[in-house]
Amino acid sequence: MGYIHNVNGGVTTLEPQINPILLVPFGSHVLLESRTDFTGFFERQNLTSGPFTGKVFKTVEFAQINWLANTHVIVTAGRYLLPFGLYGERLQPIWIRNLQDSPITSTIGTRTSGSGDGFMLRGVAVQKPSYSIQYSSYFSTRSNINQLQSARVAGGDVSLYLTHPHLEIGTSYQRFLQNNQINSVATYVSWQPPSIPLDIKAEADYSHNGRGYWFETAYLFKQLPIPPVFQRTQIVGRIQHFFPSNGGGNSLPSVNSQRFDAGLNYYVRDDLRFVSSYGRSFSSQGNANIWNVGFTYRFLFPLWPGRTK
Amino acid sequence: MAREDEMKHFIFCILLLCFISGLASSTAALKTEASSGSYEQAPAARSPNAQPTGEEVFKANCGRCHVPPMSIPQRITGTVIMHMRTRARLSRQDELLLLKYMAP
Repeated sequence: MGYIHNVNGGVTTLEPQINPILLVPFGSHVLLESRTDFTGFFERQNLTSGPFTGKVFKTVEFAQINWLANTHVIVTAGRYLLPFGLYGERLQPIWIRNLQDSPITSTIGTRTSGSGDGFMLRGVAVQKPSYSIQYSSYFSTRSNINQLQSARVAGGDVSLYLTHPHLEIGTSYQRFLQNNQINSVATYVSWQPPSIPLDIKAEADYSHNGRGYWFETAYLFKQLPIPPVFQRTQIVGRIQHFFPSNGGGNSLPSVNSQRFDAGLNYYVRDDLRFVSSYGRSFSSQGNANIWNVGFTYRFLFPLWPGRTK
Repeated sequence: MAREDEMKHFIFCILLLCFISGLASSTAALKTEASSGSYEQAPAARSPNAQPTGEEVFKANCGRCHVPPMSIPQRITGTVIMHMRTRARLSRQDELLLLKYMAP
């Protein structure tokens, strides 16, 4: 859960959010899991003046059953997050992302709702002491059911993880199979040097509606020779650039857009942190300052008593 | 335009600061590996081709996306690891090593 106070171009938005995840294991090979997103958007009535009004949006992000057959195969059925690039499946939860605003290109490969309804196969193709290769492949049907909207898409993701340098390189492909059939492609890099608390992530995306990239780096002060209370501070920087094609659209800008963000986060504990960031977006439609201040909190608890050994 | 340049310069400095801080801390003499968690620590020196320990799997995989959780109720650790095995595409071997490390 969390709360973000966002100011974008002078317009203030209050965004409380809670994302309960339910995990129900059946033995050691079957897991039922779901996550629902409840996000409130409250803005002033006349954008910059008047009382705050708004509503809470509810979205079922995933509701899936997994059969963990073996190392190489995990079979998933139901509603799942589309595994495209780094962002949608891995960095989306507010308690994980270093900067609260999504990259411009995060809508590439996640049409129409970020989730798919259908089947997915995933797992570890190869695992050696020095590297491993992971894969995902999926097919989603078109659905207009309330809370379960999805598009007819097929795609996959492959990544190579080098164990010793903690470096991951991957690529995702997706074909949109309804209306105009289009391809989307992403390539990404994620690197956490083992000896320093640095997190570097970068992704380049391509689709019919445009192409772009983002590059993000975050550094936690925990090794700096400063008082321990300050060692829980994290600084973040991100640059991104988007180039529209065919007029943009599908949640992508229609003009060339750039954005820079700088963030300062403070981990009170590993599950509770205060977040803040400043960004500036540049485009021919106008430049804007974007401020975010808030907190995120992750907690978990058992729903019923565990079995005694 | 000058303001945009100023902003680009500012963000570039932030990115650079991340790198410099990282490099500085890696070379700093006080390598206080701040793994102040509650999990068990593995012995230090090992052969590079040896099978990874639970601690190594934990550091390598959990930190790829988020700050590794230092406290999870033991009763639900197995379920959380099953969830992460699906999400992070971990092997069965990694799952067992993590379980042994996080809920010995």
